[in-house]
Parts: sequence; C-alpha cells; structure tokens
Amino acid sequence: MKNRSWLKKNGWLILLIVGFLIAPFVISKFYITILCEAMVMSLFALSFNLLFGYMGQLSFGQAAFYGLGGYAVAMLMTKLQFNFWLSLVAGVGLASLVGLIVGYFCVRLRGIYFAVLTLAFGQLIFVIIFKWHDFTGGDDGIQGVFPPEYLKSIEAYYYLIFFVFALSTLVLWRLVNSPFGQTLKAMRENSERTEFLGIHIARYQLIAFVIAAAFAGLAGAIWVPFYRSVAPSYLTWIKSGEPVMAAILGGPNVFLGPVLGMFIMTFIHAYILGFTHFWPIIMGTIILIIIFVLPGGILGFAKEKLKEKRDIQNQEQVGRRSG
Amino acid sequence: MMSFDVLFNQFLSGIARAALLFLVASGLSLTFGVLRVLNFSHGSLYMLGAFVTYSVWKVLLIPVVGFYIATILASLIMGLIGILIEFFLLRRLYARGWPEQLLATYAIVLIITDIVKWGWGGEFLSIPRPPPFKGAVFLFGFPFPSYNFFVILLGLILVIVLWWLVYKTRLGDIIRAAAHDREMVSALGIPIPWLFTWIFVLGSIIAGLSGAVTAPFGSIALGMDIEIIVECFAVVVIGGMGSLPGTLLGSFIVGQVYAFGIMFKPELALAFIFMVMAAVLIIRPWGIFGRPER
Repeated sequence: MKNRSWLKKNGWLILLIVGFLIAPFVISKFYITILCEAMVMSLFALSFNLLFGYMGQLSFGQAAFYGLGGYAVAMLMTKLQFNFWLSLVAGVGLASLVGLIVGYFCVRLRGIYFAVLTLAFGQLIFVIIFKWHDFTGGDDGIQGVFPPEYLKSIEAYYYLIFFVFALSTLVLWRLVNSPFGQTLKAMRENSERTEFLGIHIARYQLIAFVIAAAFAGLAGAIWVPFYRSVAPSYLTWIKSGEPVMAAILGGPNVFLGPVLGMFIMTFIHAYILGFTHFWPIIMGTIILIIIFVLPGGILGFAKEKLKEKRDIQNQEQVGRRSG
Repeated sequence: MMSFDVLFNQFLSGIARAALLFLVASGLSLTFGVLRVLNFSHGSLYMLGAFVTYSVWKVLLIPVVGFYIATILASLIMGLIGILIEFFLLRRLYARGWPEQLLATYAIVLIITDIVKWGWGGEFLSIPRPPPFKGAVFLFGFPFPSYNFFVILLGLILVIVLWWLVYKTRLGDIIRAAAHDREMVSALGIPIPWLFTWIFVLGSIIAGLSGAVTAPFGSIALGMDIEIIVECFAVVVIGGMGSLPGTLLGSFIVGQVYAFGIMFKPELALAFIFMVMAAVLIIRPWGIFGRPER
C-alpha cells in the first residue's frame, strides 16, 4: 500500500527519467542538442535559484561563474592538453574559488545592493576576460575544445550531460531540504530573528554563494566541450539575466520552477531563431507578462491552484463528517 | 618619471569623463532616491537618446544649432517615454517587491535594445562635434578637445540645477521628505503618484540629455547602454545610492581612476574601477554618502 502511494506520487519523475534515457533513440540530432542545452542551462538556473528562491538574494552576475567554468576547461584542454575529467574538476574549482572571493564582499549586502554588486563583479570578470587578449583570446574566445574520443558523438555526450544534470539536481534537492536549506529559508523570511537564534548569517550566505558558483561553474564546464568553443558572451549580464528569467517564468518558490522555465525558454529560443533575430524583445515581453499576469511563475500558480482545490476538498470532507 | 603636464592632461580627461558620468548617474540616483527603484533601463534611455539625437540631427541638417536642437528634442522624447514607462509599468509595481521592479526595468532594457537594433541597424554612427566646440584647446602644449569643456560645463550646470532643485525649492523639500518617509509625505496630502511620475520623467530627460551629448564624443552603437549603466552603478555604489553629493564624488573618483588606469594599463582600466568599488564597500557598504537600508 505504502509502495503504491510512493509510485503514484513519484511516477511522473520515473516517467521523466525514462523519457530522457530513451530520447536519443526517438528524436533527431537537432532536438538532442536542444535538450542538452536546456539541461545545462537548467543546472545554471538551479544554481542561481539557490540564491534567489531559497536565500532571497538576486544575483545578477551568475554568468561570471558559468563562464569561468567554461573558460577553465577550454584553456586547460587546449593550451595544456589537460585531461577532460580533471579539467571539469578544475572548472568547478575555479568557479568556487572566485565565488568565495566575490561572495565575501557580496554577502555583506542585501536586496538591490546585493544585485548591483554581483552585477558589478560579474562585469569585472567579463571585462578582464574580454580585454586580456593574450591570455584568454579576448573577443575571439577559444575554439577547438574537444571531449575525449568516447564522448565525441552527440548521443554519448547527451548521456554525460543528463547524468551530471540529474545528479546535481538530486544534490541540490537534498541540500535545500536539509537543515542548511531550512536555515537559508529562515534567513530569507526574517534575517534578524535568524540571527538571534545564533546563526551566523554572513557565513551561511557565503557557503550558499560558493555552492551556487560551483554548480554554475559545473554547468559552464560541461557545456563548453559539447559546444567545442567558449566566448566572452558567456559572461555578459544578458547571460546572467537568463536564469533570472527562467526562475520567474517557472516559479522561483518551487524547486523545479527554474528548470521548467529554462526548458520553455530554450525551446522557444530554438524555434524563434528560425525566423527572427529579435529574441530580446520577445523575452522582455514575456517577463512583463509574467510579472503582471502570473506572479509566482507557472509552477507557483499551479501549486496555488492545487492547494486551493485540496482545501475545498478538505472542507467538504469536514462538512460531511460534522453534518 | 611622469612630468606634471602629462599628469595634468590625464586629470583633465578624467574630469571630462566624470562630468559625463555625473550627467548619466545623477538621473539614476535621483530616481532611486525618491522611488527606491533601481532603473536598469536608464542606460537604455541614454542609448536611445543618442540614436534619436543622431536621426533628428541628420533630418534637420541645420548648421551650427542643429545638434543643440536635436539634443533638446531627444531629451524631451525620452521624457515622454519615461511617462509611458512609469505610468503603465512601474506604477503598478510599487506595492510589489523590489525584484519585480528591477526585472520590469530589465525587461525594458531588452525591449529597447531590439527597438534600436530594428530602427537603426547594428552599425556605428557618429556626429561631428558641434560648433563652437570643434577645435582643440592647448594646455601645456597638449591638445585637449574643446568639446570636453562643453561637457564639463554642462555637468557643472546640472550639479547646480539639481542642487537648487533638491535643496532650495519646495519640490526639493518634498523630494527629500519622500526619500525619507514616503507614507508621512502622503499623509500630508501630497500626491505621491504624481511626484513619482515627474521624478521618473526628470530622470529620463537627464538620461536622454546625457545620451545626446555623448553622441559627438565617440561612436553611437548598440551596447553603449550596458557599458554606461555598469559604470554608473559603480558611481552610485561608491558615492551612495540616492545621494546627490555622493553621485558627484563617485563620478569624480570613477572618472579619475579610469583616466589614470588607462595610462597605467589600458586593458584593466575598468577593472581598477571595480577594485576601488570593492575597497569602498569593505569600509562603507552603503557607499560614502549613502545610508543603510533594509
């Protein structure tokens, strides 16, 4: 009995995983590529939402860590012929290290100030990479980043990305439901009270900041060998805006909200690029519509409706019992 | 060893840059001080102002005063767009959290980017320096564009006008009071929504004006919005958001750091600005003239 209710509750998840596993046998190479991009960007969006949805701070510089992860992998592999797996680790390491330094300053601030400071640091890192032509290739970026032979096919790399995405999502899910995640939420709701409980707010926020930077770095690191190249545009504030949009589109207060948002955005993007280059104006309009019509995002809205329905059912049951 | 005249030349170009930064950042800071909304789209109105100035100038082709007429027209058009943005978008969001307000202005950034791309294409445009600021002034034997003095002069005029407006007029009393306690001002019978609209319009006009005067400086191009807004963020974060003296000091610091940074290592001139910003934030997280806010 217990088993069956578990299956009923999590059946959609199993279906989803099976769907992802058999996808390469069903869909065309074009859509496999889009799926890969959607998963990588979703991981990026989840890392952002750890700060936004759970800690309550809006980072407008998350792309810096995404780009740093990508650049570390690209430079190590092309310039030093580094091992692929070690490069991935180094990418995550570099993003975390820079996250530690940037986060040290940023967690002192809240609200708009936090957003502006993350934006400024993101832009600083972008400018350094963009202008340091001798070292990073400047605006040319770095081309010819190839994964090892056994991962060169799109399908093989798809499974790697899926594995990394699924595992990271699981880790982040466990994290936000751990005492650590509860503490982050408590700080979001009332930082003064949380402080009175003896919790060192800055330290917790710094840890969250570094974790977010690490996962953003992982997303960038895993993407670059698939795309075979990296460019400074990976670090711009337009890139930083993408996880923000994904979160408000899908719903920042639901764990998988940013993932849904990013999948929708990636597929719309792939579709729209077929006939127009005016992508930003569409994105801007979608943001405005979501803000005005659907605050809380798609999943936030669905969750609320579901709750209302359940409340009505409960009331009916109570009414029947007492009557 | 660097000679005095080289340093002085660098200092003067820093002052010119500071004047331009103050022109843009003062509008941003004013809006933030009263509305408590950080307007991401301020840089976009600045960019649009530069493009509109170019088009008006090109259509008019009036000698001597053509540029100045275009500047005034572009500023007023940006003011009109400001009315639309405040009235139809921001006004509905004051009751909501700041993330929504920030995102709404970010959405405007994206929309204006595409409007400019659609309307003017992706090319670089330029306007020649208007008379009587075409030539160069020689200071210690170095040529110094006289147009820079026009920008510095304009910056000074704006400092005086804003100072007079904020500290010497009744509207200024209301502005300062509203920045301090919005509800109390409202309770005194002052229509806050209209105050907000006019302040936002004033900020937009300033954005348009600064975009217009930038036009003869260098090229008018896509991306100038992001470039300027990030530097303006540095200015207001260093000086303190919403503070007029803070914006002035922040502009001066950023302008000088940039001018001397370029002399020292051109690639990292912008990086130096952010380092100074980080240093200020360690000592005073709210900026030099700012006040803490929750």
